[in-house]
Amino acid sequence: MSMRTLLLAGCLVACLAVSSVAEELSADAIVAKANLASYYAGKDGTAKVRMELSDGRTREFAILRRNADAGLDQRFYVYFTAPADVRKMAYLVHKKPGGNDDRWLFLPALNLVKRIAPGDKRTSFVGSDFLYEDVSGRSLAEDTHELVETTDSQYVIKNTPKAPATVEFASYTVWIDKVSFLPRKAEYFDKRGTLYRRVAATKVETVDGHPTVMESTVEDLIAGSKTVNRFTKVAYDIGLKDRLFTERFLRRPPREVTR
Amino acid sequence: MMKRLALTNFSLRFPWVVLLVVVAMVVGLGSQFPKVAFDNDPENMLAEDEAVRVFHHKVKETFSLYDFVIVGIVNERHPQGIFNAATLQRIDTLTHQLLSLQAGPDGVPQVVDAAGVATPLDLVPRSGFARALNVAFQHDPHHLFDDEGGSAIIGRELIAPSVVDNIKQAEFGSLKLEYLMEHVPQTDAEALVVRDDAMGNPLYKGTLVAEDGKAICIYIPIKEKTFSYNVANVVRELTKGWGTEDEVHITGLPVAEDTFGVEMLVQMATSAPLAGVAIFLLLLLFFRRVSLIIAPMLVALVSVVCTMGLLIGLGFDVHIMSSMIAIFLMPIAVADAVHILSEFFDAYREFGDKKKTLQHVVGHLFRPMLYTSLTTIAGFASLATTPIPPVRVFGLHVAFGVALAWLLTMTFVPAFITLFISNKSLARLCAAPGDADAAPQGWLDRFLRALGGLTYRRARLIIGIALAVIAFSVVGVSRIQVNDNPVKWFTTRHPIRVADRVLNDHFGGTYTAYLTLEADPNATLTCRDMAEAIRTRARARYDRVLPQPLQAFVAEVDRLEEKLCNTETCSPTDCFTKLTEAAREIDGRALAAWERLADEINYLEPEGLTHAALLAAVAKLEGLESASRERFLEDMTAYRELTGEALMDEALALCDHYLALSFEEFVGQMTTELTAPAFKRPIVLNYLQELQRHIDGIAVVGKTSSAIDALKKAAYELRYQASPVELSDEEAARLQARNDAFFAIPDEAAAVGQVFIQLEGMKKRDALFHLVTKNYQEANIWVQLTSGDNRDMQAVVEQVERYMAAHPPPLQLDVGWAGLTYLNVVWQDKMVRGMFSSLVSSFVVVLVMMMVLFRSPLFGLLAMAPLSLTILFIYGLIGWMGKDYDMPVAVLSSLTLGLSVDFAIHFLERAREEFKLAGSWQKSCGPMFSEPAKAISRNAITISIGFTPLLIAPLLPYRTVGFFLATIMAVSWMATLLVLPALLTLLQKWVFRDVAGDNSPQEITKNAKKEGA
Repeated sequence: MSMRTLLLAGCLVACLAVSSVAEELSADAIVAKANLASYYAGKDGTAKVRMELSDGRTREFAILRRNADAGLDQRFYVYFTAPADVRKMAYLVHKKPGGNDDRWLFLPALNLVKRIAPGDKRTSFVGSDFLYEDVSGRSLAEDTHELVETTDSQYVIKNTPKAPATVEFASYTVWIDKVSFLPRKAEYFDKRGTLYRRVAATKVETVDGHPTVMESTVEDLIAGSKTVNRFTKVAYDIGLKDRLFTERFLRRPPREVTR
Repeated sequence: MMKRLALTNFSLRFPWVVLLVVVAMVVGLGSQFPKVAFDNDPENMLAEDEAVRVFHHKVKETFSLYDFVIVGIVNERHPQGIFNAATLQRIDTLTHQLLSLQAGPDGVPQVVDAAGVATPLDLVPRSGFARALNVAFQHDPHHLFDDEGGSAIIGRELIAPSVVDNIKQAEFGSLKLEYLMEHVPQTDAEALVVRDDAMGNPLYKGTLVAEDGKAICIYIPIKEKTFSYNVANVVRELTKGWGTEDEVHITGLPVAEDTFGVEMLVQMATSAPLAGVAIFLLLLLFFRRVSLIIAPMLVALVSVVCTMGLLIGLGFDVHIMSSMIAIFLMPIAVADAVHILSEFFDAYREFGDKKKTLQHVVGHLFRPMLYTSLTTIAGFASLATTPIPPVRVFGLHVAFGVALAWLLTMTFVPAFITLFISNKSLARLCAAPGDADAAPQGWLDRFLRALGGLTYRRARLIIGIALAVIAFSVVGVSRIQVNDNPVKWFTTRHPIRVADRVLNDHFGGTYTAYLTLEADPNATLTCRDMAEAIRTRARARYDRVLPQPLQAFVAEVDRLEEKLCNTETCSPTDCFTKLTEAAREIDGRALAAWERLADEINYLEPEGLTHAALLAAVAKLEGLESASRERFLEDMTAYRELTGEALMDEALALCDHYLALSFEEFVGQMTTELTAPAFKRPIVLNYLQELQRHIDGIAVVGKTSSAIDALKKAAYELRYQASPVELSDEEAARLQARNDAFFAIPDEAAAVGQVFIQLEGMKKRDALFHLVTKNYQEANIWVQLTSGDNRDMQAVVEQVERYMAAHPPPLQLDVGWAGLTYLNVVWQDKMVRGMFSSLVSSFVVVLVMMMVLFRSPLFGLLAMAPLSLTILFIYGLIGWMGKDYDMPVAVLSSLTLGLSVDFAIHFLERAREEFKLAGSWQKSCGPMFSEPAKAISRNAITISIGFTPLLIAPLLPYRTVGFFLATIMAVSWMATLLVLPALLTLLQKWVFRDVAGDNSPQEITKNAKKEGA
């Protein structure tokens, strides 16, 4: 066998391996990979976000995220720059997928840091159609996952809550890209089986080697409202220190968000 | 002469043709009935494009407001009132059942429990009568879903303890955002926590929970008002097994209105036929032969059927007003036929031939009957001039019905008598005047004859009494209270009235109005205003600490004002950008240095940080302005002993002390402050707060809610400081006072904005936006009244107007009222004005007609006397009785006019004839008080007694109509038979001066006799 044939064969084997792995992935494995792809890219990351609500309200903020050195815990820091009245307002979240998240907020005009007790994560994020859970991710253990369809490019996963009384949906279906494992669309159904909410990744680019959602849209089909998030200045592995995610940096924002 | 008999002669010649035409008409118009559509909505008293209605809907849209079915649950027996575990469990279950309402596979509504088990709700009434009515009126008790199959209940807007937001303090000084009743309490002690949370929230106290802790209200928003009756039934069905401890009351204007609509149909189906039966029985009593009285009954029936058929056929909905058409039309339609029958009866004896008798009677009565009909038509047609569409439809259709009844009397009655009543039976009927019917008529005859004598002998006394009555009535009229309240259309024991009473006793009020305030978007501060505000604030802040930079800053503001504020296109954003740059300049390197210092220190690792290490880190910073560095080092000497976090805190506090003086930061704050939308500016919010306090002070207002209540509550909970475990009483009191002070509007626009944004992100998203718009330019004060009386609503509107005139708002605010309670005020006002002007115009029209009819101004005026007296007396009576001038009362004025002039026309017409025969009024009196007076009396008795079934109606407007019809008849009967002859007696010299020359009455009689022969 020539070297060339050998290479070709090796490549073939590799390709086959990849495709067979893809075929065999369980629903749980797919959602686990999707979870990592969408919320855990890099060791840390940052982005500036411009949020536009369909009623004309806007919010601008910067996000810092840092993954725990081990496990799925994460920290988020959200710093608002606009509109003028919420300038310098900041949120801090210590996400613990196994338990309750810790949340703080800083209101500069009241010179106030307040801790928010654990509660419903399916509440609006600053009045938009996004929920806290959309921003920080829903724990995989809360739903059962079922692979209902595999298309050429996507896995279609149906997710059913284990505790239906705690959420407003009866199920939601996610379309996950086979290659990047980024969820491209999620549709939420109520107890009557009516579609009432849709979240979509409307623009994806690769940044620092990570497929990244650059624009996401959520529609509330009952209220008829819509929110678009546009991401800029996305960067990964910028060396965020764990100490930035403390109360001290709520009151005095880190350079990483003010610059 | 021939002309007036043309119609009748035709009918006598071709009775079958007339009959066929009538049958064809009844069939034709009657076939329209299945197309009937009902409209129970008093809102439709206003035209669709009526400004206030358009505004009402705009407000509902702007603030996402809906009509509510209000369910009040009251527990008076449990020691903890409504706040006990068992009751709260029931309320929670009910809430989730309502939220889960859906159409089952067979279209039957069902509710689904947490486990997913569906329970169908059978809402079809048990009684066969109710079911038959539902079929007849096309009322589907399962109509609870819109065209897409969605529930009539707007789930996400439901207001109940299990689904409204609550902010409360939680462990470790944290803040908890959850539903008021996130979990159903398992013990009564836990139930008290729900109570305290609810009472601590100004938005819920008095609205969701009663201040006495004995009741909770669930507000069920519905997509359309027309769902409210069925939704109320769902609630009744779901709560029927609740036992006696928890009373369930259902109220709210939509339910009242919708229930009224449904019961109105029942009323139509019962009281109009009952009235028909009563009239029939009375006629039977007077005329003794069913065959004879069938004719007038048929006239009434045919006119009612044709009129309603026409109304339905023309595409009009049957509204509260038009449902009364039958009741109004019946007495009027019967009246003409009774006149004919009454005379026919007496004249038949003379002629002995029905055709001749009919010709005689019709010839005799043609003119008065035409005129009485024309005047009645004028009275009702004048309603077409009112600005209220259902009243216009009502007026014109009754006018049509009256015209038809007249035509039928002229044609159908003779044709009917020709065809169906044999001469033989008539001969038997009239042969023996002393037979059975002699007794009552003899009694009536004797009474009337005595009355006639009295009017002649005691004319002055009668007129004197009449004048006294007028005086009494005028005073009464001046006491009239214009007022209406759809809930009061029910009897006091009706469940709706009971619920209204109970719930308004416990709560801030179940009647809703919205006061909206809109800031003119162009009425923001001018550039110069802003410049002035900035200078003032800058001086206050920097005068002592930084006098020289302050001068530079103010000079910069002046310069920018001169440069930028003169142009028309001045943009505040531009100004502020330029000022920010200038401020940064002024802050200069000194502030930049402090900024760098702070940032550097912030990033130091506090763990094991020493004073020396901190200074070393600072020393490493290059290019730092030396003066600031030295100042820092000097100030830091005080903290040499500190380490770690404490040291960092002090170092940062030191930096902050200098950074707080930043002009750039100051400009940033002023930008927020001066460009904030109206309802984020503390000055405007404080005005709103004062206005709200003022409205709260109005007696009939039980409760008001605004965005300020939400803002203050959130600001309080955010800033609240939990007390440490060990605290002296004095310290605790101080802390308490401090916390209490937090229950206030924050004093900066930025702070307001930051609190509001927390509210925007509550569990129940957008709940805030019922009270303020998303752009914070419009605010809504939800005013709850304990009374739905228009008069009370009107008083609130006037008080607010006065307050705002005396206390002008800090910026231009457009004020508007909306809400069903307010809409009622508007149409009521239109109704009163409309009815009054239509009364005046029809009075004038009728007066002119009377002058033409009698060819004498004096007779014209005389003819108006009884009706004027009647109308005056009726409204005087309403004033004295304290009965509100409401919708049915307003409509009665036209009926009064139409009915009471009739008697006068008949009386005067005959009086002239008798005078010509007798030559003197004194001699005419006798004949006048025999047959003509009898016809009038019969009519009066028929109509007043005929409508007594209305007095037992469960809906009060029908009772009002019944009572006043009887009163109108009695009064106008007296006015016609007492006052009119007394006036004739006193004025006979003038009245009869022209009459003698005219010999037409004799001619009439002669001609009639000739024709008959």
